[in-house]
Amino acid sequence: MAENFGGVEVFDLIIKGGSVVDGSGRARVAADVGITNGVIAGVGALGTDARQTIDAAGRIVAPGFIDPHTHFDVQLLWDGEARPALEHGVTTIVPGNCSLSLAPLKAEHRRGLVGMFQQIEEMPLAAFTDAFEWTWERFDGYVEAIERALSINVAPLVGHSVIRMWVMGDAAQKRAATRDEIAQMQNLLRECLEAGAVGLSTSFVDVDERLHPVPSRFAYREELDEFAKVLGESGKMLQVVPEFYATDLTIARIDQLAELSLAYAIPTTFSPLFDSAATPDNVPRTMARVEEQFARGARVWPQVQTRPIDISFSFERPSLFFARFPSWFRVMRLPRAERLAALRDADTVSRLVQETGADGGRAMLGRLRVRGGEGAPTEIVGRTLAEVADDRGEAPALALVNLSLENDLGVPFLAESVGHQDSARVGPLLAHPLVHVGASDGGAHITSFSTYGDTGFLLSRYVRETGHLTLEQAVRKITADTAEIWGLERRGKLETGYAADVVVFDAERIDRGEEHAVFDMPGRGMRYVRNSIGVDTVIVNGTIAYSGGAYAASCAGVVCR
Amino acid sequence: MAAPRRRHEPAETPPAETVIVDAEIGCGHDGRAELVVSLRWSNGHVSKVVLDTEAGLRLMRNCGVAHLSELAGHSWRKILEESKCST
Repeated sequence: MAENFGGVEVFDLIIKGGSVVDGSGRARVAADVGITNGVIAGVGALGTDARQTIDAAGRIVAPGFIDPHTHFDVQLLWDGEARPALEHGVTTIVPGNCSLSLAPLKAEHRRGLVGMFQQIEEMPLAAFTDAFEWTWERFDGYVEAIERALSINVAPLVGHSVIRMWVMGDAAQKRAATRDEIAQMQNLLRECLEAGAVGLSTSFVDVDERLHPVPSRFAYREELDEFAKVLGESGKMLQVVPEFYATDLTIARIDQLAELSLAYAIPTTFSPLFDSAATPDNVPRTMARVEEQFARGARVWPQVQTRPIDISFSFERPSLFFARFPSWFRVMRLPRAERLAALRDADTVSRLVQETGADGGRAMLGRLRVRGGEGAPTEIVGRTLAEVADDRGEAPALALVNLSLENDLGVPFLAESVGHQDSARVGPLLAHPLVHVGASDGGAHITSFSTYGDTGFLLSRYVRETGHLTLEQAVRKITADTAEIWGLERRGKLETGYAADVVVFDAERIDRGEEHAVFDMPGRGMRYVRNSIGVDTVIVNGTIAYSGGAYAASCAGVVCR
Repeated sequence: MAAPRRRHEPAETPPAETVIVDAEIGCGHDGRAELVVSLRWSNGHVSKVVLDTEAGLRLMRNCGVAHLSELAGHSWRKILEESKCST
C-alpha cells in the first residue's frame, strides 16, 4: 500500500492517465498505476500524490515482458541491463537454456564450457576472458556475481551439461552415468534450485567446438527421470532442445516430456519450433501431439519465436544457399586460396553469372541485402544487391562476386524472411493457447543476426498489422502466461501486490528497429542488434530502468527465486 | 499360391536400403541455410530430415554432387561416410 502522510496517500511513483493492459487478457481500462517499495500499490483512479509521476496519456501501460529463452549468462557479468533487451520492455529474462549455464562449474572445466558457448551460441572468446573475473564455482556464487549490478530481473536455469561435467569430469562426454553419479547430480541440482535456479535445461542436439555431442546427450533416459524427480520436489521447469530436425523425433520427445510432466508434476518446454515451407507439416503434426498431451494433463509447452528467419552468408565459408547453383557451389567449397583464384578468373566468373539467368541474377539474387559488420563497406550497408549493382553498372551476380573480392570475401549478404515468415500460418500459431511465445535466443548468435525486439515485432506484425492477436492477448502471452508457466510468483500482471515491472509504450508505434552492427562486445567484438521503437519507459521493481531512449543503470533487478 | 512365410523365416529379399528421394533448401533457426532431405525408409515410409550446414555440405560432398536435384537416388548411408575431396 501507499505510505500515508497526514491522511494523504503518497506513492513512490505514479504512472498517470494511461490505458492499462494488465496482463490478464482483460480489455484495457483507463487507470493510474501506483507503485511503492517496488510493488504495485494500486491500480485505478489514484488521485494521490507521488514522489515521481510519469504521464502516460495516450500510452499503453503493461506488465514488463518476460523472455523465457535467452543466453545472457555471460553478458550479465558486465552488462546488468542485458542491452538492448531492456529497452524493448523486457524486464525478466531466463538464461541458462539448452544445457549450458555458467554454474556450477569447476575452474578446470571453464575452457571446455566456453568452447560450447562459442560453438552453439556464437559467443566470442573475449567475452569470457576479458570482461570479468571468474569468482565462483557453485551456483550461488554465480548468482551473487550477477546480482551486484542487475537492472533486469533474471530467472536462471541450470544446465544439465555443466552438472554432468562437475560430477563426472571428462567422462561426462564419454558415457552414461552410474547410479552413484546420478545421485550426486541430483544433490547438485537440488543445491542449484535452492540457490535460485528456476529449473534445468538439457539438449538432445547440440555439439561442442570439436563437434562432439555436449555432455547432456550422453545421458540415459533414467538420468533425466531422476532429475525430473528432483524438479518435482518444487515444481520447477525442465527445458529441452529436442531433435527439431525431424518431426517424428520431436514428437517422441514430446511424449517423453509428457510422461515426466505427469509423473513428477512439472512443467516442461521445448524449442525451437518454427514454420518453414520446406517442412510444412512440422508445425501441424507437432502441435497435434502437444494438444493430445495437454488433454492428458501434461504440460509440454512449445516455444515459438515471433520473428521471421533470415539466411545470411558470405564467401568466407561454404553455404548451402548456393546448392541450386552448381558452379557457385563448387567455387564456394574450394579452399580459400583457390576460391579467391576462381573468383578472379574471367571464364569462371562468366560461367557464374550465366548460371543465374539471362538477367544476370536480378530475379534470383537481386533482393539480397548487404549486411553491416566488419567486412562490409558502410556506404552500401542495408542496400539490396540490385541497387548496388545498378550503381556499379554491373549485373547483380557480377556485383556479388566483385564486392566480395574487393572486401577480402568478408561482405555478409542476407536473404530476408525466408522462413517462419508466412503471417497466415505463423499468426494463428502464435495465438494458439498452448503456444508459449519465446525462443528469442537473446544474447546468442550475436554475429549472425539480432535476437532482440521479438516482443515489439509481435505487437507490430501480429497485433497491429494482421490482427491475429488483440493487444490484450499478445501482452498476456508475454507476461502473465509466461510467469505462470515458469512459476514466477507475483510477476507478469499489474495487480496490487505484484512486483512493479512495467512497460509504457505507444501501441501505434511499438516495433523493433532495423538490424545493425555494433562493436560493444568485450575486445570490441561485433554483434547485430535492433533498438526499440515506441517504448517510452521501462520500470523494474519500481525503479525506472529505461526512459526517453536512455538507460538509467537502476540496479533494481533481482534474481527471481 | 505361395505358402505364407513363417514368423521367423527370413525375407526372400533383403530390405531395400533407405534412399534420398528429394532435397530442398530450408532455413535454420541459427540463420544459416540447411538441407531438407526426403528419405524413403526400408519400410516404404517417406519422411523429411533437416541437416545443418556442415552435415548438408558433407552429404553433398559424399554423394559427389553440386546441385540439390542430384541427391535423389543416393543411399542415405552416404551421410555416414568420411568426407572425400571436393568435386
